[in-house]
Amino acid sequence: MVQAPAPSAAATPARSLGRDLAGFALIALAGLAGYWLFPDNLAFLTRVISVALLVLSLDLIVGYCGIASLGQAALYGAGAYAAGIACLNGVTEPFLLILIGAAAGAVTGLLMGTVMLRAHGLPQLVLSIAIVQLLHEAANKLAWLTGGSDGLAGMVPAPLFGLFEFDLWGRAAYLFGLGLLLVVFVALKLIVRSPFGMVCRGLKEDPLRISALGISAFPVLLRMFVISGAVAGAGGALGAIATQVVGLDSLSFELSANALVMLVLGGLGNLYGALIGTVVFMAVEHIVAAINPFHWMTLVGALLIAIVLFAPRGLSGTLDEAARILTRGQRRAGP
Amino acid sequence: MKISRRNFTGLAGALALAGTFGLGGAAAAETIKIGIIGPFSGPFALQGKNFQAGVEAWLAQNGKSVAGNEIEIIYRDLPTANPQQARALAQELIVKDKVQYLGGVYFTPDALAITPLLKQGNVPLVIFNAATSAIMTSSPLVVRTSFTTGQTTTPLGKAAVDRGIKKFVSAVTDYGPGVDAEGTFKKAVEAAGGQVVETIRMPLNTTEFSPIMQRIRDAGAQGVFAFLPSGPPTLGFVKSFNDTGLKQAGVKLFATGDLTQESDLPALGEAAAGMITGFHYATSHDSEANRKFVEAGEKAIGGPGQLTFPAVGAYDGMYVIAKMIAATAGKQDAEKAVEAVKGLAWESPRGPVKIDPETRHITQTIYLREVAKDAKGNWINKEIQSFPEQKDPGLAK
Repeated sequence: MVQAPAPSAAATPARSLGRDLAGFALIALAGLAGYWLFPDNLAFLTRVISVALLVLSLDLIVGYCGIASLGQAALYGAGAYAAGIACLNGVTEPFLLILIGAAAGAVTGLLMGTVMLRAHGLPQLVLSIAIVQLLHEAANKLAWLTGGSDGLAGMVPAPLFGLFEFDLWGRAAYLFGLGLLLVVFVALKLIVRSPFGMVCRGLKEDPLRISALGISAFPVLLRMFVISGAVAGAGGALGAIATQVVGLDSLSFELSANALVMLVLGGLGNLYGALIGTVVFMAVEHIVAAINPFHWMTLVGALLIAIVLFAPRGLSGTLDEAARILTRGQRRAGP
Repeated sequence: MKISRRNFTGLAGALALAGTFGLGGAAAAETIKIGIIGPFSGPFALQGKNFQAGVEAWLAQNGKSVAGNEIEIIYRDLPTANPQQARALAQELIVKDKVQYLGGVYFTPDALAITPLLKQGNVPLVIFNAATSAIMTSSPLVVRTSFTTGQTTTPLGKAAVDRGIKKFVSAVTDYGPGVDAEGTFKKAVEAAGGQVVETIRMPLNTTEFSPIMQRIRDAGAQGVFAFLPSGPPTLGFVKSFNDTGLKQAGVKLFATGDLTQESDLPALGEAAAGMITGFHYATSHDSEANRKFVEAGEKAIGGPGQLTFPAVGAYDGMYVIAKMIAATAGKQDAEKAVEAVKGLAWESPRGPVKIDPETRHITQTIYLREVAKDAKGNWINKEIQSFPEQKDPGLAK
């Protein structure tokens, strides 16, 4: 909402701070509401949070930097496998595992960014696919380390704060995930609002003008890649902790493509959009698949086509639009 | 209490259809629910359809009540291997839908994601397919009614050597199950006094097999052991095996039965004629129990030619679950239920089977089959030799 092209609204810092706080509170409330309303679906909701982190990380490079990527799961999977392998080797503290996942994602992001930033447009997209496929194949081959196609299983994370187990009901995992999401979201909000974040946006909108200002694009974008990797890696680590299994699907092209679909659905270049897109897509998929486990994919496909046709700016963009029309209507009606 | 329960089951079934968020649960506690997780859409949908056909064939023959308890099946779709989603689905089935039993599961990582939940959920898992040996050791509440790759390749290797073939080349697709198949076949061949002179691992997306055929020829093999994902890759491999003249040169082709599953036979047809496979089930198996099963299964799946091995795993899985329900008188007690089926022996459509009391994996006859035409001119897996009472060698201590 804040990121909408409405310069006058975002201009005053006080007002934008108020909006931010309201936004954070809204996410926290929605998360807690999920906890109370759907106590039997917490494993699913935890999975939504894990994927939301992936979609947020993708938004950083696609939405804010204009870098095309269909390989974001490479970063997510790196975090998941790093956390999984660490957990099997005796590092069971959940906070530490998240940090390990984030670090692995950041390193992978550094490497992936170094390669991908050599190209632009479609070749860049192809590179991203190649990288995720390479990592997928590597994880498949290194069966002694990753479990190969059987998956990495048997990890038992220590209880949260030494008290709350990651168990069947998934309460600890969900609240842990929600806390992680909030922290990451606040940090990302600060980053995209910072001068660094503005330069990234500038590079997306008008790279020539930014370079005329004497700013070199490569290090800026690479830094965003590392941040994006850390976020995706943390998401992967959360998935590994909550599921206690890491599979090759976490490093797959399919997951990367799905993340992009969710991002487009929610709206590019908008952190709220990334969240809305993930929640809506996964919830619809989950509900429709439960109602008809045999033909649900058709319905989800129809929904996606409808959204692209009728809401090309994504759900968040359309919400903004609706809000603007409404407020304009009020102003006209007012005086 | 019991009578009113029966009266209400129709209503309960209807209400359970409303099993979306927050709904369901209230009246549904009256029936015993069984959650079946499988690939019901996507590239493996045929295998999921076979799960469903097996379950429905069993229900059609035995009715929807066991020892006075109504049963209700809840299907959940898991199109590809995805442990995170598997855990979420199983958790919801246990916590929200309150299933007493879990069944199905096509892929190994999914099974491994579900097994840690079983003890807390007090729910047994009956695996209809997922075939890696290690799953059985991950929880004492798992029972399996399918097969393992080692179970089928071990007698196959021995039978191949017994036919006078000493020099083999193994050509497998380079992924988990392929590597497992290579290892177990090699072990069996060497134990029988044969030799695997070369092991070839083919990348997953291989479509051009003639270089591989050349390597087989150069190695001077008398027999080839192949393991590929079923469907188009197998077809390509078998065609290439013929086109390059290996078949004409008298080289024998051996494989596990998933390569010649019945749904693929019409396409493979002539090309695969004479190919020898080892497997636990062929729809053409000659027994009264199988004829009845195939009739019910084909009706459930909607026509002939689609029924294959996952259906028999599901059908026998339902048999095991029914025995568990009877043994616990409908009360939820996972340990007692699993204990009750240890050593259970019965006549399955595939032949005589038994749940091994130590490993909880199915002990069964493995058949040596040849791709051939039946009396009506349809291609079938014709059973030519049988190896009774095969356990899973991967779990043997």
